[in-house]
Amino acid sequence: MTMTSKPLAAIVLVVIFGGILFSSAMGWWATTSTKEPVTFTEGEFAGEANPADIRGSYTFGDISKSFDVTPEVLAQAFDITESDPAAFAVKELETIYADSGVEIGTTSVRLFVAYYIGLPFDTTGQEIYLPQSAADILLAKGNLTPEQVAYLEQYTATLGESAPVTEPQSAAEATPIPAETSSTTSEEYIIKGKTTFGELITWGVPQEVIEQIIGAPLPDPAMTVKDFASANGLDFETLKPALQAEADKVKP
Amino acid sequence: MVTLFGKRIRLFRPRSIWIRRVVQWFFFLLIAFISINHTLVENGGGISFFSSASLHAVCPFGGVETLYTFLASGLLIKKIHDASLVLAGIVLLLSILFGPVFCGWVCPLGTVQEWVGKLGKKIFKRRYNHFVPAKLDNVLRYLRYGVLVWVVYVTATTGTLIFEAYDPYFALFNFWSTEVAWSAIAILAVTLILSVFVERPWCKYACPYGAVLGITNLFRVFSIKRSELTCKADGACSIMCPMNIPVDTKKTIRDHQCISCLECTSEAICPVAKTVLFTSGGVK
Repeated sequence: MTMTSKPLAAIVLVVIFGGILFSSAMGWWATTSTKEPVTFTEGEFAGEANPADIRGSYTFGDISKSFDVTPEVLAQAFDITESDPAAFAVKELETIYADSGVEIGTTSVRLFVAYYIGLPFDTTGQEIYLPQSAADILLAKGNLTPEQVAYLEQYTATLGESAPVTEPQSAAEATPIPAETSSTTSEEYIIKGKTTFGELITWGVPQEVIEQIIGAPLPDPAMTVKDFASANGLDFETLKPALQAEADKVKP
Repeated sequence: MVTLFGKRIRLFRPRSIWIRRVVQWFFFLLIAFISINHTLVENGGGISFFSSASLHAVCPFGGVETLYTFLASGLLIKKIHDASLVLAGIVLLLSILFGPVFCGWVCPLGTVQEWVGKLGKKIFKRRYNHFVPAKLDNVLRYLRYGVLVWVVYVTATTGTLIFEAYDPYFALFNFWSTEVAWSAIAILAVTLILSVFVERPWCKYACPYGAVLGITNLFRVFSIKRSELTCKADGACSIMCPMNIPVDTKKTIRDHQCISCLECTSEAICPVAKTVLFTSGGVK
């Protein structure tokens, strides 16, 4: 059978657009994300949404619909202080942390969500960085395996003294430093007004010691000691020496 | 055919496969509209009834890039959607039947290279598309397989669309966007400049998708075939071939670079009827 150009042109068009129509009818054609991650197909977590399928186009709100993590926790973890964290798109993180020296983006969110909920996530051969604030939340939650804690210690980036990120341009000034290269100087173990409970946990101050000093269960890890003191009618200057003494004990 | 001194004589006038140009224009405009509309939709505008898909979603090569990850975990890599896999399947089907018609008839980057090449043809005449020494050219033709292996490897190991930063196709339809890396724009610029000297330089030497589809030339159903009985060996088919395939020395074209443009056939440049054919059967 010999083919000339006109039938060939017709066949090319029919096969391409016919194929698209057919795949649409079969439900296979998707040019945008459904905002619903695929589920694990086997094993202990079969049927649960898989964090590895979180896309850059998802908002924190989309993630919270599929996973048991609120937009507010995600916003705290990634230092986002927008008024509506549910509307924040994950892909914006790459822009916000563009000048950080390490990549913090969609993969970071996938890792955070998986560790936060306790779902499996393969990090083999990958260097996935999380901001210090995200690591603090995960460590404070206390459901990580020793391997996961070790991974976090290796790939945690710490923001400097900059304010929480609200806009990409201001975020560019905040330069995360990989934990393994950032010095754990004694300066970082000084309790200040901005010091959070998550930081205390990260330094190595035992949770039960903190709870004993503050006389209450460990609050939200993103909460500062000063805010906790104010909220509970306590004097920050009273709590500070006791916590500082514990911080000094674990100081390298 | 004209009748002269009582004899019917066929006057030869080189023709081109005009319908191919129409199809190329159609897909170029379609992809351009999709890409522009995507940008407009992201900025709160756009045409609602027209597809606002991203360029990645309507590129069949995305299906190749994500294939390993898809088979290994059932997931797609970032920015790639189901549509890319569907298109990859459709293009593979077309290629098994007709060879890389996607390259010769559909791919807008190939089309743009051809447009720029017209300028080269006007400037250099017969020297056009014959600047690269044959030995070097033969080696460079396999470079695209190296690019393919690299793309598949880094995509599989990183799970991200690494090639985006080097993809001239993405740069062509997104040069106005901040998403495009300078490396991609630079590669696009080099490709367009080289197109003045060489026909389809990206396709010949670097395109990883062309490398994949080129393999189907080895076993496709419809092939370019030349009748040795009627061939006048004038070399017109070889001169016309944009991919510099020596059609006049072969009976069946199984060259991995053929793009099924049909420009070498008796429907176009070959002056003898039924001599160079695009057929599934044999020729005498």
